[in-house]
Amino acid sequence: MTASSPEVLLPESREEAVQAFGDGSGVTVVAGGTIVLPELSYGRLRPGRALLLTRSGLAGIARNGSTTTIGAMTPVSELADLPAPLGPAAARVADVEIRAQATVGGNLCAVADEAPRGELQAALLALGATVRSAGSGGERDEPLEAFLDGQRDRLLLEVSFDEPAGGAFEQLRRAHTHAYATLSVAASRATDGTVRIAATGVGPYGRRLASAEARADDPTAAGEAALGDVTLTDDALASAWYRRRTLPVLVQRVLTRLEEVA
Amino acid sequence: MKAVGARLPRYDGVAHVTGRTVYVDDVRVPGTLWVKALRSPSHHAAITRLDTSAAERMKGVQAIVTHADVPTLVYGHLSALGIPGDEPLLARDEVRYKGQPIAVVAAEDEETAQAAVDAIVLELEERPTLFDVRQAFDPDAPTIHEWGNWYPHFEGEMDRRQIRKGDIDRAFEQADLILQGVYRPAAIEHAPIETQVCLVVPEPSGRLTIYSCTQALYFSMGVVAAHLEVLLNRLKFVGGTVGGGFGGKVDTATETICSLLALKCGRPVKWRFTREEEFLVSSTRAPWHIELKDAVSKDGWLLGRRTLTLHDAGAYARFSPYGLTKHSFHHTGAYTIPNLHFDGYVVFTNRVPTTAMRGFGVTSVSFAVETQMSRIAHELDLDPYELRLKNANRIGDTSPNGVAYTDPSTVATIQAIAEATGHELTAEYRTMTGDHREGDWLPEHLVGQIRDPEEQH
Amino acid sequence: MNLTVNGLAREVESAPLTPLLTVLREELGVLSPKAGCLQGGCGACTVLVDGEPRRSCLLPLAALDGSDVTTAEGLGTAAALSPLQQSFHRHYAAQCGFCTSGMLLAAHAYVERDGSDEREAIQEALAGHVCRCTGYTKIIDAVQAVARGEIEGGQPWTLETGEGIDVEIPGSPA
Repeated sequence: MTASSPEVLLPESREEAVQAFGDGSGVTVVAGGTIVLPELSYGRLRPGRALLLTRSGLAGIARNGSTTTIGAMTPVSELADLPAPLGPAAARVADVEIRAQATVGGNLCAVADEAPRGELQAALLALGATVRSAGSGGERDEPLEAFLDGQRDRLLLEVSFDEPAGGAFEQLRRAHTHAYATLSVAASRATDGTVRIAATGVGPYGRRLASAEARADDPTAAGEAALGDVTLTDDALASAWYRRRTLPVLVQRVLTRLEEVA
Repeated sequence: MKAVGARLPRYDGVAHVTGRTVYVDDVRVPGTLWVKALRSPSHHAAITRLDTSAAERMKGVQAIVTHADVPTLVYGHLSALGIPGDEPLLARDEVRYKGQPIAVVAAEDEETAQAAVDAIVLELEERPTLFDVRQAFDPDAPTIHEWGNWYPHFEGEMDRRQIRKGDIDRAFEQADLILQGVYRPAAIEHAPIETQVCLVVPEPSGRLTIYSCTQALYFSMGVVAAHLEVLLNRLKFVGGTVGGGFGGKVDTATETICSLLALKCGRPVKWRFTREEEFLVSSTRAPWHIELKDAVSKDGWLLGRRTLTLHDAGAYARFSPYGLTKHSFHHTGAYTIPNLHFDGYVVFTNRVPTTAMRGFGVTSVSFAVETQMSRIAHELDLDPYELRLKNANRIGDTSPNGVAYTDPSTVATIQAIAEATGHELTAEYRTMTGDHREGDWLPEHLVGQIRDPEEQH
Repeated sequence: MNLTVNGLAREVESAPLTPLLTVLREELGVLSPKAGCLQGGCGACTVLVDGEPRRSCLLPLAALDGSDVTTAEGLGTAAALSPLQQSFHRHYAAQCGFCTSGMLLAAHAYVERDGSDEREAIQEALAGHVCRCTGYTKIIDAVQAVARGEIEGGQPWTLETGEGIDVEIPGSPA
């Protein structure tokens, strides 16, 4: 029971959602709620206007030729059967209840706090995904990498990627836990042979490991090179020291696996 | 007597599975106020200013308590066991751990209570901190407790728990193997699924009804009565099902403060810790630093043990001296060691005060002792079960503090474990009993130490 | 806003962003879902929403208009336990009981979608639920027994009904 009550907007279509979002100023977007609700409960977030996307019609997975487009409100659980790297990344997010409520959009917009979040970022970066968003200046498409590096003042509508020739995903988490993963590394080989590698758990949000990509032919060298792409810090799950030792191993494993499935 | 040996249903089982068990937060009394605390943001500081006036004026705030509202501010929860009090219920001149409660607010709703806490003016002057028990003994360590950096009141006047038995120097002269180890079990948060919670209802009769999650109802009742300077018959404690405690719900963490709030405003008051408070501020199992040095004969007899234990009590003593005392009785584990030199210290640090958790004081030293035994077996190339059986307590063996064992089950237990794990023991170990030592099981160095339990006092 | 809770239509007035857990406990007096962490990390708040297990501490009321909510009280009564409730009771799957409500609902949903009797699958279904008392084994045993069709609901097991469960405690004389 709280004294204050923000204005709550419940758009019933994509168009209404985009309009309600406007340029995003003063708007708190609530997708699945798995990240925002704890912030409300602990009094760390006091929204003036909350935009609930529950009825916005932004969920769904569509295939157009070799391109897959996933709506922002698609539950993470619906991706679990997709091929690597996205399927395994989604299947391992938290537990069955959280996965069914958490959304792809929320996961892509997540930043780390005490622990890394947003494990789908690694997979979708590795897939070279493009994000469509709305906000100031209207709707636009941009690479996921640019969206993540941007101002975070846009409404994510959908994410698209081309089907890869192969993919791999490796994750490091504390044994028997179903919360956040210490490290996630994803890799894909596009149909033209390009290899992309990305990770979460290596900074505030997912990162491409460009130096590792440059050495993709040699998994061990790629593993070592990956360390140059990240600035590791301590957090609640692991120390920078531990991640420095395990990130190269995961990079090595995904590249080896990528070779196996080629 | 059909109940004996039968599988009885839990008397609370049906309530549990139908969601009807009542926990403290499920007790609903109209007009109940929410509680939030102002907690120290600093690990160690002097309080130079505390001003609750703006908070008191806020709409919806019904009561705020500080140290000034507490009749007996410092009360040792285990003073009956000779452990004097050192911890103020609410901080007065200083804070010694991050999270220490300074002022507590009761308001109409959670948001108002938190806003009131945020409106309290608190000014601090930082002081140097101590976090590592090993540094407490450095000559240039900051002093963080008025008693000094370690507890000085064992048996009234000693600064350590001390056990001396036999001739430790001779044991080490005779040793074929000297094995040392440093064991540092970490703090453990109890993390019950139900956080700390209590509801205090002031009754028209002038009594307080206190719904508490305490594991120790009468104990907490005594603590509240002592702080409030009231007779026990002013208090009606209602316990019930506790949503997990494991030792973490004996500190009477909320009941006294809620009682003061309820008395001040005449309204029911409920304080439920958030999960963050539970993790950051509620007491934990203590971290320990245990150094063992064992003198062992080549055929696996434990001749002597030197032990240094540093127990991290956090900022205040609470139950730590009691825990260390238990630890000292158990520092030989289930084994007979005739020559002992034990020193144990309760050391203060600027951390959340530590408390009991399953096996208080003993689990830490069991970890150290058993690891040490396994390492000894490895060094001497002896079977780890047989090493333990050889040294296992028997009738007539004496404990570290000289009490003769009358019915130790160590031998039978180790034999049962060997069987359960499919570990083959040689015949003499398989047929060994826990009876008085004799023959091969009575080496010369133990002869002087065997007692007849019948002769005890 | 309208919710159906354990079969009863309720009109709800809490603010739109109020978590369902708070609506249930504070406005509607439905107390079985528990506030274990308010962060979605422990599972003690889980309820069924339109038959699906969800963390009620993470669901804003505004997203739930017209939803059908089931809590532990809705699974069965003291005189007519559901098979799962009976199984939890007989297998000692609850000690302090604080996690039990959430566990039951997650397990109920699992059994309803014909979950297998394999322990790993059961563990996956209950993975979001923390128990500090039981060590989980007896909870898994209880769900497994139901998945195998071994348990009948109804009157709770008592000493008088003479049934015991073969809960093996090696070395125990019982």
